[in-house]
Amino acid sequence: MIKHISEPELRAWVDSLLEGPPVYAPQARQGRFAFDRLRRSADLRLDYDVTILPPKKYFLPQQETLVRFTREGGFESAVEAEPFVLFGIHPYDLVAINQLDAIFARAPGDAHYLTRRHAATLVVLDVETVSEHHFAGGLGQATVDGNRDFDAMLTRLPDGSYVAEARTEKGRTLMDGLADAPDAGPESLAAREEVWIRNRKALRKHRLTMAPERIPELLADAHDHPIWEEKGALCYSCGACTLVCPTCYCFDVRDEWNPGLADGERVRTWDGCMFTQFAAVAGGHNFRKSRAARYRHRYFRKGKYVWDMIGEIACVGCGRCIGACTANIANPVEVYNRLQEDTP
Amino acid sequence: MSKPRIGIFDFACCEGCQLQIVNLEEDLLGLLGLVEPVVWREAMAETSDAFDIAIVEGSVVREEDAARLREIREQARVLIALGACATLGGVNKIRNPMDHGEVTRAVYGTHADDPHLAAGPARSVAEVVKVDYRVEGCPIDGSELVRLVQDLLTGRTPRVPHHPVCVECKLRENVCRYELGEVCLGPLTRAGCGARCPSNGFWCFGCRGLVDDANIEAARTVMAQYGKSEADLEDLLRLFNQESEVGHGRHA
Repeated sequence: MIKHISEPELRAWVDSLLEGPPVYAPQARQGRFAFDRLRRSADLRLDYDVTILPPKKYFLPQQETLVRFTREGGFESAVEAEPFVLFGIHPYDLVAINQLDAIFARAPGDAHYLTRRHAATLVVLDVETVSEHHFAGGLGQATVDGNRDFDAMLTRLPDGSYVAEARTEKGRTLMDGLADAPDAGPESLAAREEVWIRNRKALRKHRLTMAPERIPELLADAHDHPIWEEKGALCYSCGACTLVCPTCYCFDVRDEWNPGLADGERVRTWDGCMFTQFAAVAGGHNFRKSRAARYRHRYFRKGKYVWDMIGEIACVGCGRCIGACTANIANPVEVYNRLQEDTP
Repeated sequence: MSKPRIGIFDFACCEGCQLQIVNLEEDLLGLLGLVEPVVWREAMAETSDAFDIAIVEGSVVREEDAARLREIREQARVLIALGACATLGGVNKIRNPMDHGEVTRAVYGTHADDPHLAAGPARSVAEVVKVDYRVEGCPIDGSELVRLVQDLLTGRTPRVPHHPVCVECKLRENVCRYELGEVCLGPLTRAGCGARCPSNGFWCFGCRGLVDDANIEAARTVMAQYGKSEADLEDLLRLFNQESEVGHGRHA
């Protein structure tokens, strides 16, 4: 099912979706953009460049309850999710979600993540506005290519109309409201191809000088490279780079009592390898005490460890870390290009 | 278990941190199920000298206050410094580098020489007696005190955030204050407030003190990239962090 619709038809369709399960979509926030609950189609910003936080927050919330317990020893698992629609995911963010899907599905599987993920209908949106830091093109993630898991896809054509394609049964159900719209003809499909070709080139605001597959090899030899000290010296250990990263998923788990100590909750919160205490263990030892060691770890994690685990680079080129780093040291392209230059 | 007796004491401050305890409302009732307040001038008529846990608010500015604080310390099994005036010396320290006579005359005019106003430099509680635990902030977040008391009662090591305010700011998906053209102490300040100020239209003033291993050198270097100067940074640090103290890094 591939439809060709006008902008007003799209808005009308979105308004009809708002009568169903919650829709989360990109909206303006203080001159930037964020995914948030959509209340009316007029607030939808399909022209957004990049959101402050990636949409991973709908599957791995900043804080979530895992278990509720009582002092007497009772407990119950809190695995709950209502159906929802995640609308307007850029292709690179979809790639990141699919990476998390693979990681959280590894045995024994993370019931909390997977339950939310199964409750979601994912609508991908091809990039209309390139951000100042997008570099997904160099990583092959500017468009949805290959075997990715999502339900529907929207592409804005140069004339302002949209091609809407359903990829799954969920996607077809979501697009019920477009049943009367004309099917996309060869011309609009060709125009969509043009958008993809443009985006693969345009999302290269920082230019990676190597094929992404080369990154794991580069890192394997770069453990003692001076760049870790140089960049790490300016690191605030604030973890902004990890928190805004669509592929970062490290978390902390702790028990929180209610005030009277009669009952409480076990909660999971986002954690990050750039925090000083992330690698601290019982007895007071810290495996990554220095800023340089933590800084290096992040690039190894993105470029090698996840590659070793699922065969993908855990960087999709969204560029959020570059923009979020107050100290301006978090550009992965700069780091990997430097390693490439210095590697014979 | 018998309920630990708690004494809440105030020194030089606005007493706003105690007010945050009163403001706990329903949660306060939960807390009162766990502890028995025996001294609490702001909320109770009765008073007592027998307490196990002393919660001390305010900075120490006169020798007689220091003597009273030492007595409280003698009596208490556990002493908690409550709020920025107690943990850092607070805004009271702004006057420390200034001429003391001039400051006193500016504030008290013809009464400047009254004996009860004979104050010396403002000191944090830890500069006078040993502090076991700290609840940071101006004002404190009451839930942090509740959590500390819970941890003490359940025998857990109290958890202090070891990361800067930026973390909580990002979790709330705020636009960075630096992007808005401001100098913000978020990258240097200990988290735990939920990034309250940056979430409500202000930069971070640093009221929770410097985070462990605060990278002041990075902050100095970065200022120019935002069209700001090191003096802008120093100005902001003067409010709560102009003097470092035991256990904290020095910024100058």
